[in-house]
Amino acid sequence: MAAAPFLLPLRDAALAAVVAFLLALPLLGVRLVDSANGLSLAGRPELVAWAVGIVFCGHLLLQLIRSGFARFKPRRQETAPTSSRPPRPLRLIGGWSLALFAIALPFFPFADRTLIDKATLVLIYIMLGWGLNIVVGLAGLLDLGFVAFYAVGAYSYALLSQTFALSFWSCLPLAGLMAGAFALILGFPVLRLRGDYLAIVTMGFGETVRIVLQNWQSLTNGPIGISGIERPTLFGLSFKAYAPPGEQTFAQFFNIPFSPDQRITFLYFLILALALATNLFTLRIRRLPVGRAWEALREDEIACRSLGINPTTIKLSAFVLGAMFAGLAGSFFATRQGFISPESFTFLESAMIVAIVVLGGMGSQIGIVLAAVLLVGIPEWIRDLEQYRMLAFGGAMVLIMLWKPSGLLSSRTPTIRLGETA
Amino acid sequence: MSPLLEVSGLTIRFGGLAAISDLSFTAARGEITAVIGPNGAGKTTLFNCITGFYRPHAGRLRLQHPDGSEWALERMRDHVIAARARVGRTFQNIRLFPRMTVIENLIVAQHRDLMRASVFSLAGLLGLGRYRTAEREALELSRFWLDRTGLLGFANSEAGSLPYGHQRRLEIARAMCTRPVVLCLDEPAAGLNPHESADLNLLLRRIRDEEGIGLLLIEHDMSVVMGISDRIVVLDHGILIAEGTPAEIRGNPAVIRAYLGEPESDQPAEEC
Repeated sequence: MAAAPFLLPLRDAALAAVVAFLLALPLLGVRLVDSANGLSLAGRPELVAWAVGIVFCGHLLLQLIRSGFARFKPRRQETAPTSSRPPRPLRLIGGWSLALFAIALPFFPFADRTLIDKATLVLIYIMLGWGLNIVVGLAGLLDLGFVAFYAVGAYSYALLSQTFALSFWSCLPLAGLMAGAFALILGFPVLRLRGDYLAIVTMGFGETVRIVLQNWQSLTNGPIGISGIERPTLFGLSFKAYAPPGEQTFAQFFNIPFSPDQRITFLYFLILALALATNLFTLRIRRLPVGRAWEALREDEIACRSLGINPTTIKLSAFVLGAMFAGLAGSFFATRQGFISPESFTFLESAMIVAIVVLGGMGSQIGIVLAAVLLVGIPEWIRDLEQYRMLAFGGAMVLIMLWKPSGLLSSRTPTIRLGETA
Repeated sequence: MSPLLEVSGLTIRFGGLAAISDLSFTAARGEITAVIGPNGAGKTTLFNCITGFYRPHAGRLRLQHPDGSEWALERMRDHVIAARARVGRTFQNIRLFPRMTVIENLIVAQHRDLMRASVFSLAGLLGLGRYRTAEREALELSRFWLDRTGLLGFANSEAGSLPYGHQRRLEIARAMCTRPVVLCLDEPAAGLNPHESADLNLLLRRIRDEEGIGLLLIEHDMSVVMGISDRIVVLDHGILIAEGTPAEIRGNPAVIRAYLGEPESDQPAEEC
């Protein structure tokens, strides 16, 4: 019995090594060789041995580190859930400083065109994450087809602007309304389903929308997509090099030399404003009856019904509002790219947005920012790793889920306190 | 005492099994009516019919409000019954909103009033004064019931982190925040220790006397049932086998046979 503490890590590491061996044998152990008489298999035992060795030593090392920590801070494990909740003022400061940083970002000397462009992409996902957070994080409705509303918003803007020559600013609310209306039509029959069933149906809806976009050639131009989508203007000032007759460009108006960076920066501020508006809306509505009912519904639907809350309308409102923000983000996406096709609205996008919300900690607004930066930003910044990019990405995900199984920021702030307001 | 809830000819079947058949009784305002019976007698099914979670196959459920209006509960949906007919209920296995705080649980219970004051949250979104007033009133009502149930000190803690007995009381406070005219309590004393059980008796009596509402009570704990009920309705296999005051029920041979066992036995609370 005395030897057990030393043997236990060894046994675990050996087990891990066995698993690694079983995995590595078919994955790394054999390889196709092109020889004179056709293809043949060749063994690569040295690679398998390496993999097994690395896993064995790594596992052992990890356990030693862990036990070292346990001895160092014996109570760390128990206090973790409560200590990970930052007090409210700290959160507030964190949120405001993040917003200020985002506003100041384009003026930093290191902010070149690529950085702003990537930041814009991250912000689109932050906005989508905040929109989906209303549906998944607050109302607890697992929506795997969120990208459908994003697509509806994007196509609404593209088609409205090309068919009726409407400007971005008049199309933006229309795109939001259109996406909301789609959510309303879908939500009515679907929202009586729960949990897994809802997830599957919404996933199907997401795919349906993409396939319709792909095949309704006469309207959407099918897989070729819509190109030459009108760029947004700032109070009528365009960001083109040369203004159309009778109009002025941004550069002409302010009498500065034209640069394509101006448009990039403008788009960045545009999505920042949209995203912040989404955030403010969510923060506010959480403290209103509808928002509280969303969270209550997530916790216990039967109890809600016993308190006189109509679950259908409450769910529908969450579904529609979330979709509306996706529609707004979609029309921004269309105007930023200048080109859209059904390719941009695959299930992978939906999964990405859900991953952002879940990784952020289901309901936490700042958590979603962190998760979006990680999930969208990191793969962009580690492009240099080339074919190992997805491997590194997957590894990072696994590490985060090990470190924070319930999301980056999983605590929720109460919407009301007794004693302060009364 | 004025009639509050009139159940007549209530029948509900699940497949071939008649969970309740031809049940009729009346509950009065300002009284505690206990519904007792062995397991599977149809007590919770009765509650689910009254609160609209089940729709009865036959029979009528008439609820009379103090203002004289009548509600046909057998035709209404659950959330409409709670909101408009004002039937409050608690559940056999506690159903709180565990990750929300105690005060939030009580504010959610006043959803309907707050929704009306905030014009479906639109006015609230703009921060208009009318909503603020309504929210302050909601907080005051919550504070009142927290005080009554002895949970004032826990107002800002997570509901799911409260001890079991507190959660039971919080569920009653939450139901009372909907301002019900009748409150249906499904085994409120289950899992409570004798001390908590005595506190519960006090609380329920106080609600009856001060709020003037009617209480319906499913309970296995005979110290609670005999101690506070004004009337007792006894079910067995979905059939009414006795109805009367605690003293009458105590001596009723049919009840003793079906349920109570020995006349003097004070059964301990059954674990569920």
